[in-house]
Amino acid sequence: MQTDPTEMRLRDLMLASLDGDAAAYRALLAELGRHLRPYFTRRLTPAFASHAEDLVQETLLAVHTRRMTYDRSRPFTAWLHAVAHHKFVDHVRRQSIRLTVPLEDDAPIFAHDDSADALAKRDLDVVLHAVPARTGDLIRRTKIDGASVAEAAAVHGISETAAKVSIHRGLKSLAARFAGGPK
Amino acid sequence: MTDDLIARLSADLKPVPPMAMQRRLVLAAIVGLVIAILGAWFILHMLLGRPMGETFGGAMFWVKAGYTLAFGLVGLAALPVLARPDGRVLWPLLAAAALLLVALSLGTMNWMRTDWAMLELMGNTAMVCPWLITLTGAPVLAVLLAALRAMAPRSPAMAGFAAGLIAGGLGAAVYSFYCGETSMMFMAVWYSLGIFIVAALGAVLGRLLLRW
Repeated sequence: MQTDPTEMRLRDLMLASLDGDAAAYRALLAELGRHLRPYFTRRLTPAFASHAEDLVQETLLAVHTRRMTYDRSRPFTAWLHAVAHHKFVDHVRRQSIRLTVPLEDDAPIFAHDDSADALAKRDLDVVLHAVPARTGDLIRRTKIDGASVAEAAAVHGISETAAKVSIHRGLKSLAARFAGGPK
Repeated sequence: MTDDLIARLSADLKPVPPMAMQRRLVLAAIVGLVIAILGAWFILHMLLGRPMGETFGGAMFWVKAGYTLAFGLVGLAALPVLARPDGRVLWPLLAAAALLLVALSLGTMNWMRTDWAMLELMGNTAMVCPWLITLTGAPVLAVLLAALRAMAPRSPAMAGFAAGLIAGGLGAAVYSFYCGETSMMFMAVWYSLGIFIVAALGAVLGRLLLRW
């Protein structure tokens, strides 16, 4: 009847397991785990990819507790597929109540445009060259990289007050130059 | 994680003999039937004062026994298939429908012959018959559903329906020992209704209880 080598090997292992052969059973479960992992990963949306391992374990558990329902005269892979499918459908049903995909994770029309990023970075370099090097670096550290004023001041070995004044003046002169006068 | 699980599961392995599932279902049906027989004797005979086996041996008695047990057998044929994750079977449902159709047409023919006498349809117990059948079928259904919880039905509702068909059929067969009605139309309508109430109950309960 069945000639598929995977089916024949798994079925032989299953029949031995049903007769109580623990070594065959361990080999069977290990192999099923290897088969099931890609099975679930392929079917899950990326947002739920981390659930694949849970589903593998749930399926192995169901194979164990409900192995009585395997009919020895029928293909084993069909039975296994039915169990795995049931677990997958169950998972989808459970998640469907809050099956929401975060907007930034999806919808390619809103995808981040890297070329605009690079342009902004170059513009920024040009602009910051318009102020003294130390002031430019202080502005970059505090306003762009997100460091605190104290941290930026420590890097340049000046006091926090001096750094604040320097940043303030730098921004003011940049505003005067690029924003059409002080505001 | 998964390796731990595999180690634990294989340490827990107990042999499963061939036909273990079928044996468990048949055993559950028998246990339920015994409870139904004892319960029916207590409730119908002791509490309601119905004499047992009043119509025993008459032609209609055997028709009723055959009709109700046929539903039980149809359910019993379907249940081991429906209790599997890859089980799909349709003919028992069609067989049950055909059985009902045959009984209704034979009953209608008899009823016509008696010139549509109301007694032929309603007997004396039409209003309690379906509910008492539900009552006698309930223990069979409960034991079957309990056994099914360890199994893996592809569709919990369908498996519950098949269990309900067994329970309704066996329950109605038990009830027929305490039933004095001898009309074909009565059986075709009220017995069938009782059996299908139990089957529908099984489908609803199956949906709730047999998820896995």
